[in-house]
Amino acid sequence: MKVGIPRALLYHHYGERWLAFLDALGVEAVVSECTTDDIITAGAFRADNETCLPVKVFSGHLLWLMDRVDAVLVPRVVSQERGTCSCPKFMGLPDLARSLDPDLPPVLAPRMDLGDRRYLWAREWYGVARSLNGSRVSSAAAVAGLLHGLSGYRAREDDGLPVGDMKIGVAGHLYNVHDHRVSLGLLDRIRSMGATPITVDEVPSRQIHKHAKTLSHRIFWGFERRLVGAVLHWSRTADVSGIIFVTSFACGPGSIVGALIEDQLDREGSVPLMTITLDEHSAEAGLVTRLEAFTDMLRHTARVARRINALQDAGNGGGP
Amino acid sequence: MKIAVPRMGNLPLIIRDLANRFGLEYIETPSFSERTVEIGAALAPEFACFPLKAVLGSFVQVLEAGADTLVMGGGHGPCRFGSYGEVQKRILEREGYSFKMLILDSPSTSLKDFHEGLRSILPRQHVRLPVLLRELLRVLSKVVVFDEVEKWALALRGLEAEPGAVDSALEDSREIIGRAFSSKEIKEARREAQSRFDGVPLDRERAHLKVGLVGEIFIVLEPYFNFDIESWLGRRGAVVERSVSISDTVYPGGRNPVFGYNDRIVAKAAAPYLSHEVGGDGLLTVGATTIYARRGFDAVVHLLPFTCMPEVIAKGVLARMSSELDIPVLSLSIDEQTGRAGVQTRLEALLDLAWSRRRKGRTAGTAAVGEEGGWKVEDKTFKAAQ
Repeated sequence: MKVGIPRALLYHHYGERWLAFLDALGVEAVVSECTTDDIITAGAFRADNETCLPVKVFSGHLLWLMDRVDAVLVPRVVSQERGTCSCPKFMGLPDLARSLDPDLPPVLAPRMDLGDRRYLWAREWYGVARSLNGSRVSSAAAVAGLLHGLSGYRAREDDGLPVGDMKIGVAGHLYNVHDHRVSLGLLDRIRSMGATPITVDEVPSRQIHKHAKTLSHRIFWGFERRLVGAVLHWSRTADVSGIIFVTSFACGPGSIVGALIEDQLDREGSVPLMTITLDEHSAEAGLVTRLEAFTDMLRHTARVARRINALQDAGNGGGP
Repeated sequence: MKIAVPRMGNLPLIIRDLANRFGLEYIETPSFSERTVEIGAALAPEFACFPLKAVLGSFVQVLEAGADTLVMGGGHGPCRFGSYGEVQKRILEREGYSFKMLILDSPSTSLKDFHEGLRSILPRQHVRLPVLLRELLRVLSKVVVFDEVEKWALALRGLEAEPGAVDSALEDSREIIGRAFSSKEIKEARREAQSRFDGVPLDRERAHLKVGLVGEIFIVLEPYFNFDIESWLGRRGAVVERSVSISDTVYPGGRNPVFGYNDRIVAKAAAPYLSHEVGGDGLLTVGATTIYARRGFDAVVHLLPFTCMPEVIAKGVLARMSSELDIPVLSLSIDEQTGRAGVQTRLEALLDLAWSRRRKGRTAGTAAVGEEGGWKVEDKTFKAAQ
């Protein structure tokens, strides 16, 4: 029995845990290949034309898996943190997956509601484990392992890549930013321009919550709340020289959160912000031009600031 | 203090009633027009959904007309509606308007916050909680009656013997209900409206289609944005039933008195296709479509604002349901660039399809109006089958 997991959406958050879950059951897991042009085209062609880019990409991965596996695992992630909910797309994702193609293998859709009591949804995972022919003991062990792995949020470790002369905060969904094809290699491009990109998952949880709380409006989407917290942290501590807000075409929460961030940073008068909207057309030249302009602008601002400081120092030192 | 509330369907009638009841000073939000949409689309974030833009435009207009307190609904997700108030407030402040914005969450979330919110706008003699609740319950029963007469109008428009008879009955009924104040008067007004509808000459022998109208509440209820689809369908001999209404949304306990099927029945009907709440009216759209399909409707029209998150999920699921339940479903996404001709052409095609299916005997056609107990338009067969 082979169970497929699409390498899209929340795979970039929880993929390792899901794989460990299947591994504990002794089921062979197949993860779809990294996003390619063909996957995006297939997904955009078959999925509903109004859905956001990540869901189209997800559909493409699902179609890639279709003939290769006996079942697909699409957990229904209802919330990622206490007191928040996910984007509606995650709540309806298994149903969208089932509607995509009548020939699709069965979709296993256990609920994952990290903001709620574990026992309410852990039994759904147990049911899935049993339906994959796990024994009672190994199923229980697999679920326990999953719950243990999901408890607590860990900021991503330093990956040892070269450090540039300035830091740029990249505020965007992990499934956009960490997908090389969808983001058109955004992180690598920033590195090649001599800057260090920092993503939302590198900011410690405490900082995120501290800053997210100060906003006049409670953002109810889990990841977006983290994202706004991270952006406010970067801008208030001046940890980065500039922030790039990465959203995808037709992203619902992105449209609201983007407007809030823009307004809040404008009021606080802090670091420059640029918004990049990704879509299924690979317009690399446009992205590169905008990134170059943004980094040039940041460097220019830093140079001017240094010169003014130097002049002021000279003025202070030389005065009577 | 001059209060303004966004428009949607019967909401202006309800606001007028609230204002009379509590002695509020308010400014009626101008009805939607091209200018409203233009202003809203220019100020709002590009990918925000259409209701945010439309309401923002009307807020600008009503602020220019002299309002100083805006009242907006709130929420806690996952639909974007919960963030509308905050985003609109920030945009309007940036544009230099000075005003107070009151974001009212549903009383079932926090009765205390709701009460405190109302206290800040109501005159002092009304703010005691028991008085407030009594008056609000009266308003609620009035809201239900407003929606009920609309439901009757939808059911009868396709059968009227002389054009315009149903619309004039609807106008009169609204007038009659608008005057009612106490619970007794509201009941009396409902009876009067019923007898007004009884007087509408009907052509019962006429062949008609039965069409379900589902989708996002703002687009479904606001005739300016759905190009008055209800009358349009009625004029072409379609008997229409609608899944969303203001009273079902605000009615406590998920009873849906106007739609006729409570939240549990809806969730159960939707479960084979969509088994989890997705916010907004997404689950209702899917559940209502299943119910309409099982009741033998000829077609379902699904209205949604462009990129609406819950409805886009419903739309994806509806494609599968349409083939499995064998019912034509037309999804129409509406935004500031949608043209009337495009919508009507597609609707005509849908009606043609439904007629041809009827001729081939693929749909039996159901009785439009069950007559026991006045204008009972709901069909109990589905509930019995459950």
